[in-house]
Amino acid sequence: MQLRDYILRRLMVLPVLIIGVSIVVFTLTRIGGSPVGIYLSHEMTPDEVAEIEARFNLDKPVWVQYIYWIRGIAMGDFGWSGVAAAPVADVFPLKLAATMELAFASGLVALFLGIALGTYAGARRNRLPDHLTRIVAVSGASLPQFWFGILLLIIFWAHIGIAPIGRSDAAIFASIAHPTGLYTIDAILAGSPTALWDAIWHLVLPSITLGYGATAIVARMMRSALVEELQQDYVDAARAKGLAERIVLKRHARRNALVPTVTVIGLTFGFLLQGTITVEIIYRWPGLGRWMADSVLRGDQATLMTYVLFTSVLFLVVNLIVDLVYANLDRRVTLGK
Amino acid sequence: MTTTGWRNGLQAGIAALALALAVPLAATAQVNNPGLLVHAADDEPTTLDPAQVEPGEGGETVILQVYDRLLDIGPASPELIPSLAVAVPSVENGGISSDGMTYTFMLREGVTFHDGTAFTADDVKYSWDRAMTMDLPEGNAGALSDVVASTEVVDDMTFRATLSEPSASFLNSAVVSMVASIVSQDAVEANGGVEAGTPNPFMAGNMVGTGPYKFVAWNRNENIQLEVNDDYWGENAKLDVRIEIGGDPDVRVLGLRAGEFDTIETDPSFIADLEGVEGVTVYSGGLLLEPLHIGFNLNIPEGALPSEDTIPVDFFHDPRIRQAFNHAFDYEAFLNGPLAGFGAFNAHYTPIGIFGHDPNAPVYSRQNYAEAERLFREAGVWDEGFTVSVITEEGNLFALMCLVLKDSIERLNPKFRINVLAVAESVFDDAHAQNPLEYAMWAKNADPAADPNFYMQAYQHPDGEWGEVHGFANGYRDAERVASLIDQAAVELDPAKRAALYSELQTMLYEDPMWLIGAQEGVVSAHRDWLMGFAMQPLWPRPSLKFAFFDK
Repeated sequence: MQLRDYILRRLMVLPVLIIGVSIVVFTLTRIGGSPVGIYLSHEMTPDEVAEIEARFNLDKPVWVQYIYWIRGIAMGDFGWSGVAAAPVADVFPLKLAATMELAFASGLVALFLGIALGTYAGARRNRLPDHLTRIVAVSGASLPQFWFGILLLIIFWAHIGIAPIGRSDAAIFASIAHPTGLYTIDAILAGSPTALWDAIWHLVLPSITLGYGATAIVARMMRSALVEELQQDYVDAARAKGLAERIVLKRHARRNALVPTVTVIGLTFGFLLQGTITVEIIYRWPGLGRWMADSVLRGDQATLMTYVLFTSVLFLVVNLIVDLVYANLDRRVTLGK
Repeated sequence: MTTTGWRNGLQAGIAALALALAVPLAATAQVNNPGLLVHAADDEPTTLDPAQVEPGEGGETVILQVYDRLLDIGPASPELIPSLAVAVPSVENGGISSDGMTYTFMLREGVTFHDGTAFTADDVKYSWDRAMTMDLPEGNAGALSDVVASTEVVDDMTFRATLSEPSASFLNSAVVSMVASIVSQDAVEANGGVEAGTPNPFMAGNMVGTGPYKFVAWNRNENIQLEVNDDYWGENAKLDVRIEIGGDPDVRVLGLRAGEFDTIETDPSFIADLEGVEGVTVYSGGLLLEPLHIGFNLNIPEGALPSEDTIPVDFFHDPRIRQAFNHAFDYEAFLNGPLAGFGAFNAHYTPIGIFGHDPNAPVYSRQNYAEAERLFREAGVWDEGFTVSVITEEGNLFALMCLVLKDSIERLNPKFRINVLAVAESVFDDAHAQNPLEYAMWAKNADPAADPNFYMQAYQHPDGEWGEVHGFANGYRDAERVASLIDQAAVELDPAKRAALYSELQTMLYEDPMWLIGAQEGVVSAHRDWLMGFAMQPLWPRPSLKFAFFDK
């Protein structure tokens, strides 16, 4: 089969898969409980409940509700979030941007700190710096995020008072437009150093909290890879040529050690996205994690269904891309018959 | 690094830490965020529209600050005071007709809305008619539509409301309620107008009122910002406001201790973390008008109860069993445990702090196992025992109240079993809204109100909201007498006679309780010492604060 035919076939199957996923998401969410509770107040009469059900088409048979839901999605209407008190479609991009920005910043913390620590430890194998780095790394992997986050909050927000919580200073936020929802990018687009600094400053504590756990993984990976590389013959050859140890480390061993580490960094991004729930709650970060936690607790099904559908479709699309790239890269892969 | 180097580094680190810890002590003398009040709220509003907001919900906090009503309640007493009306109507000043059916309000001149348009009687009529026309199920339009037959613009500065029947509580329960807030007619008409049964998305997220604060922004999950209305008709507010939304309760407490927040919404369980903290004042005056109660269902459908329940559907028809539950409850444990001592016990069903509460009426306030056992034996359930479930929201005072009940009842007799079904709020709300209700007992708090008629109608009248759902008529010793007293008190305009009627009801309902009232929760709040003009009024919506009084 030609690659083009394979792509076409996969693209044709994709909508079917998405519909299948949507049915599963809808069914499982409905099994989880009635969707009307989030819209009710505790003193409503049955007649008032019926009015609310009619407003959201929840008085119709379940399969009709599904049709309404899918039709709404096709028109960009993902329902009303009882938790955010706004249409899901309006809020979702803002929350997603907030979470992505936090995860990305945490990834940077993990990347730079992890590689630096791993390199430092790997180059000083079984010496004091290596042991100290191991302690730091093990701490990062084992400290509960909620504890570490609260600890940083107590020290740097409550006691010293130098770090803020939340996502931005209200006045600075209002001073620029937010076309992307990524405050750092918005600040750059607006040409506002004040807004950029404010956005970065608000990212510091949450991204350190979130990134610390991932730092440990990256640092340990980097250290192991570097230790292995430093035992290779080409390193001995480089040293024999008379290259300085610093150059051997940076230009040769570290570069090769980065290959497996980068793979781990990619996987770590998923870990960071999962970890945002705790961090967003502690630092009052208005992202997807906090929204989803509230939605699960309060039964906000419109929000939950959107989130699960979004991640499922994302997974399908990414999987498709990976398959295509893999097929293109490795000719031994059979493209079906 | 040499040994000396390590030592020097360690010393430098200790010095830096000591300096860091010393900073907040020094900072307590300063005022953080001058010119700005930072209030940490526990929850996000669901709407900012007076026609849509549910009583007791977070949106009422903001509506109270941005909108005015015709009358208001001052910070120091429950007496009504003029607001957009220049006088409180009475028979004496001609504001109330002699038959009690017509209320005429003379309006304040020179008032403008935040959008610059002038306030007139048209806006009052429009605001009230709008709420009653929309009649949203989540809102409180019934506070108006249940009593108001018609509204009328007499002239630009005179508004008249005609009632469907005389009401002793009209001013206290309807006129001052958030649903009666005055909105700008021009703003609403320019942004969606009025449609029956349909929320107005613009008004749900924006506010155009006449109050001391102008609405600036609502950043969902983050904050709500208000600014001082410099053109306010009354005394101007002093501080702009930022309401920080939600987050972990521990973080709110931490923020108050650090001076990042000026006021926080909290509950009694956090007070121990704040008492004695330098720069923080814990305020504990008064009581919330939301008694914590456990309802007895006398209208259980056959076969509806959870399978574990062994009680017959008419279990609570017997007043002795309802009395026995009331006697068995460990009130002191609930008050001194979950409520941390902040609360009191109130009569059935007139909260302390509102008109009609009789301090001499009998109150269930002490566990009395002997009396409970006698009543359970008389009712014939002592030897056989029973299992009954009580449904409640998880993780809050209601659930703890249920656990106290479970402990109280099960310790009285090992054959008694209480299953506490603590569920998510949405699951509870869904179950709680059913009629008939499929549980024998449930726990929650009452909606707040400023007049006893609301409580009596909603929670005690055989034909009232809960009377109908719970089938009170099946169980009252004298349902007609209860209904008659409540109906008489609702229209009795002589305060002394009205108070006497409520007093009789409170005594009667002690012997014939339809609820178990765990306690009336105390008003608990904490704020920074630098906040001046602090005042709480339980008759204002939670957290019972008007930010316009505050200064730093």
